[in-house]
Amino acid sequence: MSQYLLTALIFTPVAAALLGLFIPDTSKSSFRTLTLVISAIQIALLVFVIAQTRGSSFSAILLSEKVTWFSLDLGEWGVLQAEYFVGMDGLSFSMVTLTVLVMSIAGISSWTIDKNVKGYFILLWILNGAIVGTFVALDFLLFYLFFEFMLLPMYFLIGIWGGAKREYASIKFLLYTLLGSILILIVLIALYISMRNPEMPDQLVHTFNMLHMTDVLNYIPGSILNPAQPWIIGPQTARWWAFLFVLIGFAIKLPAVPFHTWLPDAHVEAPTPISVILAALLLKVGAYGLLRIAYPIFPDVATTLSWFVALIGVISIVYGALNALASKDLKRLIAYSSVSHMGFVMLGLASVTTEGVSGAVYQLFSHGIISAMLFLIAGVLYDRTLDRTIINYSGLSSKMPVYFTVVLITFFASLGLPGFSGFIAEIMVLLGAFRSFSANGLIHESFAIVATLGLILGAAYYLWTLQRMFFGPFYMKSEIKPDQLIDLDKREYSMFLPLILLALLFGIFPQILLDYINPFAQHFTESVLQTARSLQTP
Amino acid sequence: MDSSAPFDLLIGLIVLAPLASFLLCHVIPDRYSWLVTIAATVFLLVSTISSLVLFFSVSPNESHIIQLEWFRVGPYSFNGNLEINNLSVLMMLLVTMISFLVHLYSIGYMAGEAGIRRYFAMLGFFTFSMLGLILSDNLLAIFFCWELVGFSSYLLIGHWLEKPAAAKAAQKAFLFNRIGDVGFLIGLMIVWANTQTFNLRELLHLQEVYSWQTAASLCIFCGVIGKSAQFPLYTWLSDAMEGPIPVSALIHAATMVAAGVFLLARVFQLFTPTALDVVAVVGMVTALLAGISALNQFDIKKILAYSTISQLGLMVTAVGVGSEKAAMFHLVTHALFKACLFLAAGAVIHSIHQAQSLDHENFDAQDIRNMGGLRKNLPTTFLVFVAAAASLAGIPLFAGFLSKDSLITAIWIWSGNLFSWHWMILISAFALTSITVLYTFRMVWFIFFSKTESNLSVTESPWIMRIPLVFLAIASSWLFISINPFKPTGWIALWINELPHSNLVTIISIAIIILSLLFAWSRYSVKNKSATTILFFQQGFQLDSLYKLIIEKPIIKLTAVAETTDRKWIDGVLHLTAYTQVSIAHIIAWFDTYIVDGLVHVTVWLTQQTGSFTRSFQGGKIQLYIFWAVLGLIIFLFFLLI
Amino acid sequence: MFPTEHILYLSVFLFSIGLMVIIIKKNAIMVLLGIELLLNASNLNLIAFNRLQPELFTGQIFSLFVIVVAVCEAAVGLAIVLRVYKHYQTSVLNEISELKE
Repeated sequence: MSQYLLTALIFTPVAAALLGLFIPDTSKSSFRTLTLVISAIQIALLVFVIAQTRGSSFSAILLSEKVTWFSLDLGEWGVLQAEYFVGMDGLSFSMVTLTVLVMSIAGISSWTIDKNVKGYFILLWILNGAIVGTFVALDFLLFYLFFEFMLLPMYFLIGIWGGAKREYASIKFLLYTLLGSILILIVLIALYISMRNPEMPDQLVHTFNMLHMTDVLNYIPGSILNPAQPWIIGPQTARWWAFLFVLIGFAIKLPAVPFHTWLPDAHVEAPTPISVILAALLLKVGAYGLLRIAYPIFPDVATTLSWFVALIGVISIVYGALNALASKDLKRLIAYSSVSHMGFVMLGLASVTTEGVSGAVYQLFSHGIISAMLFLIAGVLYDRTLDRTIINYSGLSSKMPVYFTVVLITFFASLGLPGFSGFIAEIMVLLGAFRSFSANGLIHESFAIVATLGLILGAAYYLWTLQRMFFGPFYMKSEIKPDQLIDLDKREYSMFLPLILLALLFGIFPQILLDYINPFAQHFTESVLQTARSLQTP
Repeated sequence: MDSSAPFDLLIGLIVLAPLASFLLCHVIPDRYSWLVTIAATVFLLVSTISSLVLFFSVSPNESHIIQLEWFRVGPYSFNGNLEINNLSVLMMLLVTMISFLVHLYSIGYMAGEAGIRRYFAMLGFFTFSMLGLILSDNLLAIFFCWELVGFSSYLLIGHWLEKPAAAKAAQKAFLFNRIGDVGFLIGLMIVWANTQTFNLRELLHLQEVYSWQTAASLCIFCGVIGKSAQFPLYTWLSDAMEGPIPVSALIHAATMVAAGVFLLARVFQLFTPTALDVVAVVGMVTALLAGISALNQFDIKKILAYSTISQLGLMVTAVGVGSEKAAMFHLVTHALFKACLFLAAGAVIHSIHQAQSLDHENFDAQDIRNMGGLRKNLPTTFLVFVAAAASLAGIPLFAGFLSKDSLITAIWIWSGNLFSWHWMILISAFALTSITVLYTFRMVWFIFFSKTESNLSVTESPWIMRIPLVFLAIASSWLFISINPFKPTGWIALWINELPHSNLVTIISIAIIILSLLFAWSRYSVKNKSATTILFFQQGFQLDSLYKLIIEKPIIKLTAVAETTDRKWIDGVLHLTAYTQVSIAHIIAWFDTYIVDGLVHVTVWLTQQTGSFTRSFQGGKIQLYIFWAVLGLIIFLFFLLI
Repeated sequence: MFPTEHILYLSVFLFSIGLMVIIIKKNAIMVLLGIELLLNASNLNLIAFNRLQPELFTGQIFSLFVIVVAVCEAAVGLAIVLRVYKHYQTSVLNEISELKE
C-alpha cells in the first residue's frame, strides 16, 4: 500500500473522471457527492502519507515510486528514456496538502454550478489529478506533462462556465501560459540532451530525472548546458539563457510583473471555485517550478541573477498593490493582491537564506488558504447580487453581519495581521531578504525595505475597501434589491470555517508546517549555494 | 533567578482570562448579550486580582523568565519567552486594573447598544494582546502583539459601523500605525541581519556598541512614533476619538498609546546616543505642538486627545534624555489620571445626552462651549474631574506633580551646566508645564464653572459608571504613588527605583504652575466663552492637509499610473502583438487564397482546357476520325519522306 | 502500252477521290461508294504491279479476290445501312454518332 500512496493520490480523481463518464448528465447530486467522496479519499490518503513519513527527514525525497515509462534505443543517438518517477519532500508535501484542502473547498463551492454539471466536474477532477501530479513528479517530462495537462481543463472551465468576457479571458490565459510552456519545453530538451543517466554508466542513456539534473557530474562533456565548458549564445552562456527561459516560463505562471495581466482577467471572468483553484493552486505551480527546477538545476546562474529575481519580486509587490488600490471591481482587487503577495515568494526565494526560502514556501501555503477565502468572499457577494463593483455598496455590515466578520478576518489575514499565517510568511521572507546581503551577498538590503511598502499599501487597499463597502450607512445601487442580501448559509459557512481555522492555526503555531518546510529549505539553500560556489571557483 | 514555576499559573490567569472573555463573547448567543457584559467584567476581575497577587508576591528588582519555544527556522529559534520584571509586573497591574475599570464603566455606558458583544470581545482581545506585548521577551513577539493591539484599536474606533467618520478614523489609525510598524519591522530586519536573534535578554547585553544600532533603534522608534502618536504621525489620535469614550480611555489614553513609551523603556539599552537625541527632540516637538493644539480645541475629547499626545511626547523626551525610569513613572500616573479624565468626560457627555433625549434638544454634547455650570448638577463627576485635571496640570499633592517633576529633573540633569541645544529642550519642558496648566484650566472652567444659557436638567450618570471614576480619582492623588508628596518614595515609586529628584526643579515648577494658574484665571474666567482659537492650531498644525498633498495625492496618482500601465502598456503591447499576429495571419491567408490556390486553379484550368480541346477530336464522328487519321498519316509520311 | 506510272497515277487519283468521298460525304451510301472507289484504286495498283512479274498472276488473282470481297462488303455494308436507316430514320453519319459521350 505505502509504495503506491502518491500514485493513488494522483489517480483517484482521474479514475473518478472516468467513472463520471458513465453517470447521466441529469444526476447532479451524484456528481456533487462524488466530488466529496474524492476529497475524503484524498484526505485519508494524506493522513496515510503523514503516518508513513513520521520521523523521516523531509529534506530527502520520500515515498518515491519509479517505473520506466518508455525506453527507445536510437543507436548512436543514445537511448531515449523517460520514467514515471514521483516522490515527496517538504516542498511537495506542503503543496500536495494545500491542493487536497483547496480542492475539497472548491468542490463544495462548485455545488452552485448548474450549467453542464457533468462536463464541469469531470474537468475539475482531471485538473485535480494534474495539479497533484505536478507537485510530486520528479521526472521533468512527467512534470511537463502534468503541467500542460492543467491548462486545458482550466481553459474550458473559464471559457465555458465564466462571465461575460470569458472567451477573451480564457484565450489570454491559454496563450500566456503556452508561451511559458514553450520556453520551458526548450530548456527541457536542452537539458535532456546534455544529461546522461548515471545509473547506466556503460551506455549513453539520456535522462529526464530532475534529481540527476541537479548534479553537475551528470552533464555530458561538451553538451550545450554543461557548466564546465558552457556554450556561448550571443552575449551570454547557454545556461544563462536556459535559466532566463525557465524563469520567464514560471514567472508567467506565478505571475510576476510584467507577465501578470492574464491573471486579473482570468479571475474576473472565472466562476468562483475556479478562481479559488487558480489563485490557491495554479499560481503555486509557478513558484514550485522555480524552487524545484530553476534554482537547483541552474544554481550558478541563479545566484548571479538573484538580484533580478528579487527585483521582479519587489516590483510585483509594489506594482500589484498599487493596481489593487486602483481596482473598482472587488475580484480584480483580490487578483492584484495575489500578484502582490506572490512577489514575496520571489523575494524570499531570491534571498537563498533558510528563513527566506522557508518564508517563501510558507507564503505559498498561506496565500493558498487566504486567497481561497478571498475569492470565496467575492463569490458570495456575486452569487447574491451579480455585481462586484465596490462603490455600489455601502454599510453591508448591518445586513450581513456574519459575512462582514468573515470578510474582516480574511482581509486582515491577507494584509498580514499577526496570528494569521501570512504574517509568519511575510516576516520570514523580509528577514531573509534583508539578511541575504550579509549572509551570502545575493540581493541588496534595499529590496527588503522597498518590499515593506507592500505591507502599507496592502493595509491601505483592504481597509479602504472595508470602509467603502461595509462601514457607514447602508446603501446599494438601485438595481439591486436589498432582499437579495442574505447572510451566509450553512454550506458557505462550512467552506470558510476550516480555512479560517487553518490560517489561524498556521499563524499561531507555525512549527507544525515548518517541520516539513524547514528541512527542505535548509537542504535547498545549502545545495544551491554550495553548487554555485563550486561552479564559480573551479 | 530564572526559577519561574510559581508564577506560571498566575501569569496564565492574567493573560488568558481576557482571551477567555474574548472567546466567550463569541460563544454566547445574541439573546443573552447582557450576560456578556457581566462575564467579561468578571474575567477581567480575575485577571486584575491575579496581577495584584503577582504584584505582592514578587519583590521589586526580581526578574523571572518563563521559557516558551515558539518556532524554529533552520538553526534559529524564535521563542515566546515571558519576562517578569519590575516593568512588566507594574504594567500588567496597570493594564488589567484600568481595563477592569473600563469594563465596569462600559456596563453602564454601553447599555442598550447594539454591538455590545463585539465591543466586549474586542476589549478582552485588546487586553490580552496588550498583556502579551508587556510580557514578551522577544522583539518579534512584541511586534506580534504590537500589531494586534493596533487591530483591536481599529475595530474599537470603528465600533459604530454606521458612522462614516468613525470608519475613516479607524482606517486612518490603522494606516498610520502600519506606517510606524513598517519602520519597526525594518528595525527588526536590521537587528536580525546583524545578530540573528530577537531575544531581548541577549540583545540588551551586547558586548559593544555596533554601528548598526543607530539605524536599528531609529527604525524601532518609528514604530513608537506610530503607536504613541508622536510627531509627525500624531494626527490619527485626535481622530480616533470617534470611538466610544471608554475605548478612548483604555486604548487611546492609558495603555495602547503608552505601549510605545513602554517599548522605548524596554529596549532603551539598544539605543545609541545619537538615536536618543533624535528621540528627545521628536518627543519635545510633539509635546509642544500637541499642547498648543490642545489650547485651541473646543471638543472635550479632542482636548484630552491632544493632551495625551503632549504627555506622551514628554515621556518620549524623558527616554531620550536617558531617564526611562522617569518616563515609566509618568506613564503610570498619566494612565491613571488620563483614564479618569476620559471616563469623567464620558460621564459628562453621557449625562448631557440623557438630558437631551428627555428635553428633545439637540446640540453638540462634546463641545465645551455648550457646557457650563455643571458642578452643581454633577457633583461627583465634578470632583473627580477636577482631581484628575489637577494631576494632569501637575498641581502639588497630586500624582502628576511627582512624575512630571522627575521628568523635568531628568531633562535638567541631562542638559548639563554648559549652554547647548539641550537647554532648548529644558526651556520647552518648562513652557509645556505652563501650557498644560492653561488648557487644563480652560477645560475645567468651561465645563463646570462658566455660565450657560441652556437649562437642561442634567443628572448624574449611574453608579456603575461612577465607581471607576472615584477609584481612579483617588489613584490620581500622591498617596497612591508615593509617601512623600514632593519626592517619589515608597509604594509604586519603589518599583521604579532611582527616580531623579531635585529640590530646585520642584521649586521652579511650583512657581511656574502658580503663575500659569493666575494667568489662566485672568484670561479664561473673564473672557469666558469668547475665547478665540486659531484654526491652524486647532487642526493639529494642518499636518493632515500636508499628508493629503504629499502622500495621498501622489499615491492616488501612482495607482492611476499603475492602472494605465497595466491596461495601456502591458496589455497594449500584448494586444498589439496579438493584432500583428492576426494581421500577418490575414496576409498569409490572402497569399494562400490568391497565390497558392490561384496557381492550383490555373493548373486545373489549363488541364481542363487541354482536355476539352483534345476531347473535341472525339466527337463520335467517324469521318472526322478518318480525316485526322489520314491527315496524321500524311504528315507522318511527309516527315518520313523529306 | 501505257507506262506503269500512268496507271499508278490513276490509282492515286481514284484513291484520293475515294478518300475525299469518305470524309466529305454525309450519306452512308456515298461513303460506301467511296470505299468501293478505294478498293478499285487498290485493284488498279495490284494489276499495275503485276506487270513487274508477268509470268505470275498473283496481282490479277488478288484483284479478283478483292472484287469478291468488295462485293460481299458492299452487300453487308448496304444491309447495315438499311438497318441503320430503319432504326434512325436517316443515313447521315453525323447524326448517328452514338460513340460520342
